[in-house]
Amino acid sequence: MIAVVGLLLGILAGLLLEPAVPEPLQPYLPIAVVAALDAVFGGLRAFLDGIFDDKVFVVSFVSNVLIAALIVYLGDQLGVGGQLSTGVIVVLGIRIFSNVAAIRRHLFHA
Amino acid sequence: MNGQEEGGSDRRTTTTPPTYVGLLSQVMSNTLDEDYRTVAAQRGAEGGPGSRPRRLALAAVVVAFGVMIGVSALKTEQDRPLALAERAELVEQIHLREQRYDERRATEGAVETEVTRLQKQVADDTSSNITLSSRLQLLGLDAGTLAASGPGISVTVDNAPQSSGRTGGTILDTDLRQLVNGLWKAGAEAIAIDGHRLSSLTSIRYAGRAITVDYRSLTPPYVVEAIGDPDTLPARLLETPGGQTWLSLEANFGIRFDTEARDRLTVPADPHDRLLYAEPTGSR
Repeated sequence: MIAVVGLLLGILAGLLLEPAVPEPLQPYLPIAVVAALDAVFGGLRAFLDGIFDDKVFVVSFVSNVLIAALIVYLGDQLGVGGQLSTGVIVVLGIRIFSNVAAIRRHLFHA
Repeated sequence: MNGQEEGGSDRRTTTTPPTYVGLLSQVMSNTLDEDYRTVAAQRGAEGGPGSRPRRLALAAVVVAFGVMIGVSALKTEQDRPLALAERAELVEQIHLREQRYDERRATEGAVETEVTRLQKQVADDTSSNITLSSRLQLLGLDAGTLAASGPGISVTVDNAPQSSGRTGGTILDTDLRQLVNGLWKAGAEAIAIDGHRLSSLTSIRYAGRAITVDYRSLTPPYVVEAIGDPDTLPARLLETPGGQTWLSLEANFGIRFDTEARDRLTVPADPHDRLLYAEPTGSR
């Protein structure tokens, strides 16, 4: 419950307040969002598995976002930013799909 | 996928040493953070839910996630008109370039037609130039502005030897003129005296004890070369008044008068081929 409320609150805040993202960080926002999505779905699955833990979720969320952004930043510096972000998105996408599949099994028992 | 994933989870819960699997299958199966299970196992031993500050941290992270989603959605939305505008501009440029291309193609077609027309014209001009230049050549030969060569006769005349003691043995300018006129009358087409081509402007005069042709003094013997039919020229020359005069000169004063047929003679061009005042009637 708190999570859903927090999420809606955050989206509203983001849309209404339009917080300025520093120009150099802007390219890494989408990949950070994807990484965060992975952490969120992992947490959701853990919650449904009954093994959710706040601390683990927070840590995995923050580290996911930071590492994803860092990898893409590194790729940009090496001149392979596009390819590396593609790779990161593929891996994260696979994880998200698997987690969503597990969540689906939990919810619909199918 | 289902069985594979479950198998992976099983293996992880029983803490067997990690077996190496392919990168892809590892990525596919290892989707849940192991920490959840580890922590859950620990908590199972301890019991009790999360503390309050942890709840706050969770809420903060979730809010942050929401902000991230909101901001990137907003950013994408803001960038869209820009991207659309760029795309529209590119499309417009493409249309413009296509139009220009079509125009250039049309121009090219027109230019090509023009080139064909001009080439044809050049060809026509060239052929008319050829007829013109051949005509010019004929006229030049006639007027003496072009060197001419062909069969003809060579007439060598000289004063009577001084030892003969007879007076009047000197060739005068009138004698040479008579000879030249006779040659013209006999059908000569080009005449040169001692290498000086005779044109319509050439004079043959007596000046200061010497005959000048075209204002250049000559010394005997004089060689008169005439291009024409070598078979008929000598005979026809003798029938003319000039030829008769020379026959009598030869007979009465011992002046040399030798006619010789030549297979090939060359007479040079008259260098003075510029008319300063005369111009065709009707022009201008």
